[in-house]
Amino acid sequence: MNLNVFLSSIRNNPWVTPVTVMALVLGALLAVSLKTQQSIRSTSLPSNRFSGLAAAYRDQQEQLKMANEEISKLRERTTQYENEMASASEKTKLLNNALQEAKFLAGLTPVEGPGVEVVLQDSKKRPPANSPIDIENYIIHDSDLQRVVNELHAAGAEAVSINGQRIIATTAIRCVGPTIQVNGIALSSPYVIHAIGDPDTLMGALNLPQGVLTDIQAIDPDMVKVTKKSNVQIPAYTGSLVFRYAKPVVATPGNTSQEKGDGVR
Amino acid sequence: MSWLPVVALLAGFIIFYFVPLQLPSDYAPYLSLATLSGLDSILGGIRAGIEGKFHVDVFISGFIFNTLLAALLAYLGDQIGVDLFLAAVVTLGGRMFLNLSLIRRYYLTQWNISRQRDAERT
Repeated sequence: MNLNVFLSSIRNNPWVTPVTVMALVLGALLAVSLKTQQSIRSTSLPSNRFSGLAAAYRDQQEQLKMANEEISKLRERTTQYENEMASASEKTKLLNNALQEAKFLAGLTPVEGPGVEVVLQDSKKRPPANSPIDIENYIIHDSDLQRVVNELHAAGAEAVSINGQRIIATTAIRCVGPTIQVNGIALSSPYVIHAIGDPDTLMGALNLPQGVLTDIQAIDPDMVKVTKKSNVQIPAYTGSLVFRYAKPVVATPGNTSQEKGDGVR
Repeated sequence: MSWLPVVALLAGFIIFYFVPLQLPSDYAPYLSLATLSGLDSILGGIRAGIEGKFHVDVFISGFIFNTLLAALLAYLGDQIGVDLFLAAVVTLGGRMFLNLSLIRRYYLTQWNISRQRDAERT
């Protein structure tokens, strides 16, 4: 009886059977679709989150900048305290002098003095058609900055900065995508290099024939601008100063590590 | 017996959910669109059925053809850099809402009629 109702209803509604068959297929499609989407969600980054990530990245950059400012303020205050403590006795005064010298060398104090300003920027020109010169030569590379900084140091520069990033002993200058990172901070053209030292010597070193700037100037003279400055301001290094692996070797009189190293004679 | 398609849908879903079949994620958007198109065809079929305008050949060919077309359209859109994907989603989505509302109205009316009959009988 019940079955009869069932059959007659199918007979009265001819659409039920085909729709049922296709619904089965649709169920299969839905299942496969769902599984695929789930696996995408669990393995890859959906492109619609890029904008959110970009905003988060900008936020982080902003915070980093603020943290760096805080660091330089705190380091300045440390110097003040050190100087105040130094006035206590002759011994502490000597200690503090050595300390300040070391900090000066390490690039932890902002400095000023005579020097030069080197501006390196990507050329606005393009290579002429059929030119054998690659377009890569028309932009400033990390190697260009390295060579200029190297030359400045060789010429006796006492402090160097690129776009406000102080060059210290552990500074890396490297190419990251379209930018150049100095101290882990991304910089872009134009690159302003400040160096403190004898302006004439620095200028001369940079303008040596076949020197570090010759190749760049040959491509486009506008890519390089060197000017002498009577007063150059170079900020302190604000990055991390945590040493986790290197430890100072404690030298004991008569048995220093260097003597040990000389053991083979 | 209009609940039969729903049962079949669930059955198909459950079976294929546990079958270890999966497409590479590159084809995921096309598969999604094909699924959407299939859903649209089913709803269209039900609507045609309750309106008494159902034709098996139109329904079956429509289901298969539309499903493939939707996926193909999305693929073509990706190739030429136009979001034809969206066009299909908007069209199918709009039609699905229309069909669903018509189906809902039909069953609502039926239910009302049977209730009135019951009321008259007592």
